[in-house]
Amino acid sequence: MGLKKKQEPNTGAIAVEQRQPSRDYAGLVKSLESGDPMKRRWAARDLAAWPEAVEKLLTALQDETEHPVREAIFDSLGLIGGEAVVSGLIPILRLEDAALRNGAIEVLQSIPEAVALHIIELLNDQDSDVRIFAIDILQQLAHPRTPEWLLSVLKDETHVNVVATAVDRLAEVGTPDMVSDLEAIKQRFPDEPYLAFAVDTAVRRIEEG
Amino acid sequence: MKKILIVDDAVTVRMYHRQLMESLGFEVEEAENGIEALEKGLVRHFDLFLVDVNMPKMDGYRLVEEMRKTPELQAIPVIMISTEASEQDMEKAYLSGANLYVVKPANVDELQTYAALLAGGE
Repeated sequence: MGLKKKQEPNTGAIAVEQRQPSRDYAGLVKSLESGDPMKRRWAARDLAAWPEAVEKLLTALQDETEHPVREAIFDSLGLIGGEAVVSGLIPILRLEDAALRNGAIEVLQSIPEAVALHIIELLNDQDSDVRIFAIDILQQLAHPRTPEWLLSVLKDETHVNVVATAVDRLAEVGTPDMVSDLEAIKQRFPDEPYLAFAVDTAVRRIEEG
Repeated sequence: MKKILIVDDAVTVRMYHRQLMESLGFEVEEAENGIEALEKGLVRHFDLFLVDVNMPKMDGYRLVEEMRKTPELQAIPVIMISTEASEQDMEKAYLSGANLYVVKPANVDELQTYAALLAGGE
């Protein structure tokens, strides 16, 4: 008698995106390491309800190569918010991966109170790129101290690209009392035509209200 | 008239580059990020893209990678412009498919010369 082939269940030819509606924390963390990007994406999204998942999400983020999964992880980190998320995202600003950096910046912009505690430290970072990213965070950060922080960059910063980024942001949030500090930039950097243009643009926009 | 798409999330930078490129006789359009740039590039022909690196939604590296995979856009020259000056950044730009990587603040004469050369003459 020959061997009888075991009957396989019919899984169907069409792959349908299915989300398991209720899963526990351990199950979601396991799914976050799945080989299936769709499972990782759903797990990342559902972990937004678990504040203790921050570390797992941050670890997964740095290994993740699929953009939709990365986006889901960033969305969940933004929803969880708080100090653990901010502290976990700041080191990403130093990575070479521009998409990761920009995703981190967008999340940090969405959690102003927790980020505010770190802004001065970021604006004084040794790396001029990190200082620029700090100003990028301020671009959308709805925090009352944003103009004050940008003004401190105008007065103290020496790197032309950091100053240029701050001038650009002050065009949006600057006030008439900052015009003299803006104009002083043209004296400090007389050979930078972009800075002269940016200062004139910012002053014009501030004066137009 | 040659057409250029300026891709940058900073409005002041777009205005500045517009002024520089219009003075060379370019017709200029603008996009705020990589996704908007791809959308504009697919509905209109451009002779050159001037692309920032750090932008929300889709950064400059990914934009150029997508362009090089898209038949309608793959032959368009790209100048990437960034505050980041390391060799790693330059290498990444060229690997993604950029024709030229320029570090900010760009020398105006050089940027205009490169733009005119890469876009080609009438």
